[in-house]
Amino acid sequence: MEHEQIERAVARRSAALYLPISIGAALAFWLAASLVGGYPPVAQIGGAVWVGILSLIVSMPMVTARVKRRAPAP
Amino acid sequence: MTANTRTLSLPVQGMSCASCVAHVERALRELPGVETVAVNLATNKASLTYDPGRATLRDMAHAVDGVGYAVPTAELTLDVRGMTCASCVAHVEGALKEVEGVTTATVNLGLGTARVSFIPGVATAGQMKRAVHDAGYEALERSQGADALDRERQAREEEIRRQGRNLLIAGSIGLIVMIGTFYDMLGPLKALVPEWLSYKWVIGLLTTPIVLGPGRQFFTNSWRGLKHGVTDMNLLYATGIGAAYGIAVINTLFPTAGFGGEGATFFESAALLTAFIILGRWLEALTRGRTSEAIRKLMKLQPKIARVVRDGREAEVPADEVEVGDLILVRPGEGVPVDGTVTDGYSAVDESMLTGESLPVEKKAGDNVIGGTLNKTGAFRFTAGRVGADTALAQIIQLVENAQASKAPIQKLADWVAGHFILGVHMLAGAVFIFWFFFGYRMFFDPNSSFILSPYKLGEIGVFGFSLLLSVTVLVISCPCAVGLATPSAMMAGTGKAAEHGVLFKSAEAIENASKLETIVFDKTGTLTKGEPSVTEVVVSGQWAWAPESQAQAQEGLEDRLLRLGAVTERNSEHPLGEAIVRGAEARGLVLVEPESFNSIPGHGVEARVEGKSVLLGNRKLMRERGVDFGGLMPQAERLEAEGKTVMFVAVEGQPAGLIAVADTLKDDSPEAIRRLHKLGIEVAMITGDNRRTAEAIARQVGIERVLAEVLPQDKAAEVKKLQALGKKVAMVGDGVNDAPALAQADVGMAIGSGTDVAKETGDVILIKDDLRDVVVALEVAKATMRKVKQNLFWAFIYNVLGIPLGAGLFYPFMALVISPELAGLLMAVSSVTVTLNTLLLKGFKPSLRRENKAQRGMGMASSQLAPAAGD
Repeated sequence: MEHEQIERAVARRSAALYLPISIGAALAFWLAASLVGGYPPVAQIGGAVWVGILSLIVSMPMVTARVKRRAPAP
Repeated sequence: MTANTRTLSLPVQGMSCASCVAHVERALRELPGVETVAVNLATNKASLTYDPGRATLRDMAHAVDGVGYAVPTAELTLDVRGMTCASCVAHVEGALKEVEGVTTATVNLGLGTARVSFIPGVATAGQMKRAVHDAGYEALERSQGADALDRERQAREEEIRRQGRNLLIAGSIGLIVMIGTFYDMLGPLKALVPEWLSYKWVIGLLTTPIVLGPGRQFFTNSWRGLKHGVTDMNLLYATGIGAAYGIAVINTLFPTAGFGGEGATFFESAALLTAFIILGRWLEALTRGRTSEAIRKLMKLQPKIARVVRDGREAEVPADEVEVGDLILVRPGEGVPVDGTVTDGYSAVDESMLTGESLPVEKKAGDNVIGGTLNKTGAFRFTAGRVGADTALAQIIQLVENAQASKAPIQKLADWVAGHFILGVHMLAGAVFIFWFFFGYRMFFDPNSSFILSPYKLGEIGVFGFSLLLSVTVLVISCPCAVGLATPSAMMAGTGKAAEHGVLFKSAEAIENASKLETIVFDKTGTLTKGEPSVTEVVVSGQWAWAPESQAQAQEGLEDRLLRLGAVTERNSEHPLGEAIVRGAEARGLVLVEPESFNSIPGHGVEARVEGKSVLLGNRKLMRERGVDFGGLMPQAERLEAEGKTVMFVAVEGQPAGLIAVADTLKDDSPEAIRRLHKLGIEVAMITGDNRRTAEAIARQVGIERVLAEVLPQDKAAEVKKLQALGKKVAMVGDGVNDAPALAQADVGMAIGSGTDVAKETGDVILIKDDLRDVVVALEVAKATMRKVKQNLFWAFIYNVLGIPLGAGLFYPFMALVISPELAGLLMAVSSVTVTLNTLLLKGFKPSLRRENKAQRGMGMASSQLAPAAGD
């Protein structure tokens, strides 16, 4: 039971970190594409989504593993 | 390892790549009480040392489960006899739960059964039955309970079936998708294919069951890992398939949305990518089990039934229920169920499966028999000496399993690379996407460009579709799945192959080290030599006047007469040299009578009265003290001593009669072993406590140039260390307790099977037979295995090294060609299969000694067949 609670806390704390990172990366891409100009809106949005997904995939395990290491042992 | 630690081989399910290995290792290592962890992808096992007081199996299973994998359990039903009430239920359940590896035990009093859930390989049916027996009840295994071997085979067959089913669905529908996609290019074959098959929505409908059916495993597995903060190969596939399918759906449903429209639907990519990845998994499942065939062969050797003679009656009992001291009958053609000593009967036993010895070994009363060997001709009875986990076969299996679960240094590096690869690949995929989105497409895109090995033009694909295509291809082509298999599969095949030839490597590191050896140090006594002195020469003095007293004596030569007198004199002596003389006389068939009187002269020799004559036998000092002049025989005595032999002087009636030379003789196979090692370019040294003259004499006979003489037992390790300090990779071959420190100090310690338990415990390699030529076998197998490891790593990485730049579009500006995701998937499947097939080639490996023996036997047979023909 205690173990599950810790797992949930780790998941919550990790999400609070990797979601902003991924959304931030996606927004940065969208902003760059807008500033460069010449891209159809769909390409801008699609690109931002793809960059967001890749950022999520990269940051999710890294952040979760780090938060888990710092969490108290069950 | 401390006194409180235990070792455990824990099965782990769900691992598919080297990064999985890293995740499981980390999860287990983080548990309090776990000291060391090594996970082997090829065997799907984690080898641990842990403190049972601090870490439990439940913790370990939970930790493995926590990172998205599973510790498999099996179930077994036992018929329990003797239970009468509810408290019996608690007793039996308690006893079963005490067995390490049992996760749950539920006893049904009414049915008289116990349903046990346990971790295969950790707990055995025999242990459970013993636990129930010790609690005061009797348990019998129900016939449907399959053993660990069968369960392993069943699990493998189930995986092959599952992936085969997936392949059939993905492959067959994928083929239709491909035909539909390339409809316009079918030319005259178009007439055979309905046009509606080329409609995008039809292709989409056909692709959907592939992605959601056979392809679902990649999404569920990667999501399970991501939730726990781990990434593996499944994630690469899921991202690749998911992106290709998602964009294709959008472009089909909303062609004007700007993702490239109908010209950029990647349904065939999603379908064929899934099919090719599953093809790889299926082939891998098919071939992976074959690399561990050796261990399965060993396990199969264990007979299931033993004929135990109890109260004069013969009864068939399960082999794992045989107890020490049981009398067992073995008939011709039957297997020997456990280890023991023959009490009566005579037969020839085939021990080749355990020792590699090709000829059957004769067995008579007093000889030892090994469980798992095959009785050939006669019948015999023997007393069980070692049973269950103590038998030689069980220990060999354990050693081979441990070696296969261990990791070579080269593998640790490969695992580290693969473990960090996945995230790196996703970052690279992101970088590739950004480059082609912002720069590449604008600068280099050519609408006439096409996919490699495909006439399919990229056409109207937009900047997003093109960048995404290359990004997805990088994800798929970078999969390091073959890297995770490269080393463990070769190590498994290598340790198994070595075991087939009577050489047991205790770890993968021992194989790697053995392949790099430059110097081998042999202990002398008991290793190069037989370890017991024997008579080598008898020299009769010309001054010895002797008149035969009987017809028998008249027929006896002078040498035999002298030896017989010496042997009778020494008959009551317990000195090893005296025993050697007695054995020497017996070997010549001489009849030994009791001496009329006997007197031992400590440190000098013995004197006795034999056939009415006084006989004095001993060293030079004794003769000098008794005033016997051996001046005429001194040149011969000195020559013999220079050859490393111990010379005994024999005087009869105060007159010099002759010399008997005794020496520890070389084993028959020692010179050949040394010659073969020299041929391999290995420097060979001999280490001994003997004086230099004796040591050099032996070394000369065996062909060793480097002699480390007069080395005290405690200094042997220091001598090995000195050689290592010269930068050499050193192996030590020994058999005794005093060799143990040197065996431990050496890069590879090789213990001879006939040696002491301490030596075998300390050594990294055990030579089952007492044959030094197996040192050569060990080296050849180690070199062949490491060659295979390096080839495998080459094949595993070369696809990635060449594929990644190709997939990232590095050559696109010059060639206007891109690699499609499905071709990338096919390349990765080929990579895994190449590695596994390359490993399987090791199955055909034969050490030079066996090859030559076989060739010689073949020539012998040919010449014996030719001989009568010539006579005709």
